[in-house]
Amino acid sequence: MADIERRALMKGAALGALAFTVGGTTVMLTAGQAHARNVPFRTLKENEADTIAALGETLVPGARNAGIAHFIDQQISVPPEEALLQARILHVRPPFANFYRAAIGAVDRASDKVYGAKFAQLSTDVQREFVGLMRQNKLEGWQGGPPGPFVYTVFRSDAVDVVYSTMDGYEMLGVPYMPHIAPDRRW
Amino acid sequence: MANEKVDVVIVGAGASGSVYASVLAKAGKKVLLLDNGPDWQLQDLISSEFWGRRIRPAGAPVLLDGKNPFGYTAQAGWGVGGAALHYFANFPRYLPTDYKIKSEHGRAHDWPISYQDVAPFYDKVAAEIGVSGDAKQEEKWRPAGPAYPMPPMKTFPNGEVWLEAAKANGVQLVPAAVGMTSQDWKGRPACLYDGWCHVGCPTGALANPVVTYLQQARKAKAEVRPFSTVTRVLTNQAGTRVTGVEYYDAQKQRQVQEASVVILAAWSGQNPRILLNSSTDKHPKGLANKNELVGKFMMTHHIAPTWALFDEDITPHMGTIGAQFMSYDRYDKKSGGAGFGSSFIVAGAAMKTNDFAQARFDLFGPDLHAFMKRAAKGLTRITIFGEGLPRLENRVELASDKDEFGMPLARLTHSFDDDALALWSSNYDLGVKIAKATKAKEVWPGRGPVVPTTHLHGGAIMGTGAANSVTNSYGQTHEVPNLWMAGPCVFPSEGASNPTYTIFAVSQRGAEHLASNWNTITKA
Repeated sequence: MADIERRALMKGAALGALAFTVGGTTVMLTAGQAHARNVPFRTLKENEADTIAALGETLVPGARNAGIAHFIDQQISVPPEEALLQARILHVRPPFANFYRAAIGAVDRASDKVYGAKFAQLSTDVQREFVGLMRQNKLEGWQGGPPGPFVYTVFRSDAVDVVYSTMDGYEMLGVPYMPHIAPDRRW
Repeated sequence: MANEKVDVVIVGAGASGSVYASVLAKAGKKVLLLDNGPDWQLQDLISSEFWGRRIRPAGAPVLLDGKNPFGYTAQAGWGVGGAALHYFANFPRYLPTDYKIKSEHGRAHDWPISYQDVAPFYDKVAAEIGVSGDAKQEEKWRPAGPAYPMPPMKTFPNGEVWLEAAKANGVQLVPAAVGMTSQDWKGRPACLYDGWCHVGCPTGALANPVVTYLQQARKAKAEVRPFSTVTRVLTNQAGTRVTGVEYYDAQKQRQVQEASVVILAAWSGQNPRILLNSSTDKHPKGLANKNELVGKFMMTHHIAPTWALFDEDITPHMGTIGAQFMSYDRYDKKSGGAGFGSSFIVAGAAMKTNDFAQARFDLFGPDLHAFMKRAAKGLTRITIFGEGLPRLENRVELASDKDEFGMPLARLTHSFDDDALALWSSNYDLGVKIAKATKAKEVWPGRGPVVPTTHLHGGAIMGTGAANSVTNSYGQTHEVPNLWMAGPCVFPSEGASNPTYTIFAVSQRGAEHLASNWNTITKA
C-alpha cells in the first residue's frame, strides 16, 4: 500500500480540538478560534489573561492570536490527567492553575516594581528587556512565585506549542506534518 | 468486593509486565494485569505534540531531590503500554563488560548473570517482536549472533551528515538496531519515517506492547484491568508468602486481588514505593527489605546532545525519533575523555518543531522565529549517553505527603558522582569535535545548567544473594519466593545504551523460568 494512502486511512480517527463553553453550550474550537470569538475564560481573570497574552506574544510572535491565553485557561480548567500542557512534562505539580496564577503574579509584581506598570501595559521593547532579564534570573524586582527562568521555560513552551506545534505552525515553517492519525481542526 | 483469585497478578502493563503476561498466559496461567492508567488503543495515538502528552505520567507525583534530579515526566508512562507506548525503540543491547563491571574495574556491581546468559533472549525477543538492524556490523563490539529479522531502516541526510565526521574522530557509526519494521513483517506494516514515534505509533511499525506482547497476552486470555492503582502487596500472617495486592479501582474503591504470584512490573520509581508501603509486623521495613536495599541504587543515564545547523536542506523532519546510526566506540568504561563509565553514541533523529525550539532555549521573539525557519531545513543532532554508577544514596523512599488513596508519595533522590559528571562534560567535547568536522554552518553543545537525564534503573537490584541484592537473576525476591520484580528496577548497573531491549530480554528469561518452575515456586 502506498504510504500516502496508508496515512489517509487513519485520518480523522480522533478528536483534536478543545472544548470551550460558549453561551452555555460546549463547542470544539482551536485556541486561536476561541481567541478570535472572544470566548469567556473559565478560570483566568481578564487581567491574568492579558498578562499571559502579552508574555506569550513577547516570547513567540503570533502567540496572542494563536490563543495562548485561551489554551492555558482551558487546560488549567480540566483534570490534570487530561491536560496537554508542557507543565505536565516540566514537573509542575497539579493543580496547574496554582502555578500559572503564581507566575503571573510574580511577573506583574516585578513589572510594577521595576517599570511602574503591569507587564501587559509595557512597550514592546521593554517587554523584551523584561523577558531577557527574567530568563537570566536578573530581574531585581522578582519576588515570590516560581523562579523567573522557570516561568520563562514554561510560558515559552506554551507559546511555542500554540504557534509552532499545530498543523498551521508546521505549514508556516514549511515542515510537512505527515500525521498517522491527524488531529481534527488542525490542532 | 471479592475478586476471583488468579494465578498471577502483574502490576504495570508496560514493557516488562507485558512480556511476563504473554509468556505466562501462553503457559496456561490465569493472568491479570493491573495498570493505574487508561487502556490505550492504537487509535488513541494522535500524531500531535499536544495529544502525545496524554500518555505521559499522571496521578500521584514523584518528589524529586538531589543534585541531579531525574526528569521522569518525559520518560515514564501512564496507562497500558507504559513508557514503551512512547519509547523511541532504540534496541542496542548491553555489552559483556556491563555484566561484569565489578570484576573488570572494581566498581559498581557485577550482574549475577553474564552476557551469554542473556544473549539467547535478545535473539528470542528480536524474532518475536521484530528488530531492524545490521548485526554483522555490530559484531565488532559484541559476540557474534544471528542476523536481525529485518534489514536496517532507511537513512536520511540529517543522519548521513554525521558519518564521515564521526569516522574522522575515531567513531564508527553503524545502522542503529531498532524495534521497528523496515519492511512489512508478520502482518505489521513497514515504517513511514514520519517521526511520530514519541507520541505513540499507531501504525504497528514500532514494537510497542499494544501490538506485540500485550496483544499476545490478551489472545491467551490475560485480563487487563485499567485505572487500577496498586497500593500494597499483601502477605500471609507468617509473612512468608504474598497472597495478592490491594488496589483502588476506577471508581476509587478499595479492592483486594488474590493471586498465587505477584509481579511488580511498574516503573522503577514506583516498584520500591509499593514494597516500602507494604510493611507489616513481619516486614517492618517494607516487603523484601530486610537488608534495606529496596529503593536503593537508583541509576540514570546522563545525556550530552550537540547541535549542528546546516545551510542545506537535510530534511530534519524525516526518519524516526530514535536514531539512524549508533556507535559503541566509546563504550569501554575507560574510553571517555574523562571520568569513568560507558558512553553510547547515536546520530540522526527526526525532529519536530518543539525540538527546534528546544535547540536554542535562550532565543525568544523574532530571533527565535528566524532560528525556527533555519532549523526547519538544516538542524540535526548527535547525542552521547553516559553511564552513572549505582550509588547507595541514590534512592526512593516514602515521603510524608500522601496521594488520594492515602499512600505516601515517593521521594526520588539522585546525584551523579564526580566521575559521571566528568564523563558528561567530556562527551560534549567529543560531540562538538565531531560536529565541527561536518559541513555545518553552526555548531553548539546543548548544555544548560541542568544535567539531562534519561532511563531510570535500580531500586530492587538483582544479585547473588540477600546480602547484596533484592532479587535473584530471574527477578524473584530473596525474601518471598512468590513475589517477583520486573523491569529495569532489577538492573544492578546500567551500561550506557537504551535499556528496553535488555528489559524485554531479561523479562523473557525471568518469565520462562517462572513458567517452567511454577509448581515449585507456588508451593505453599
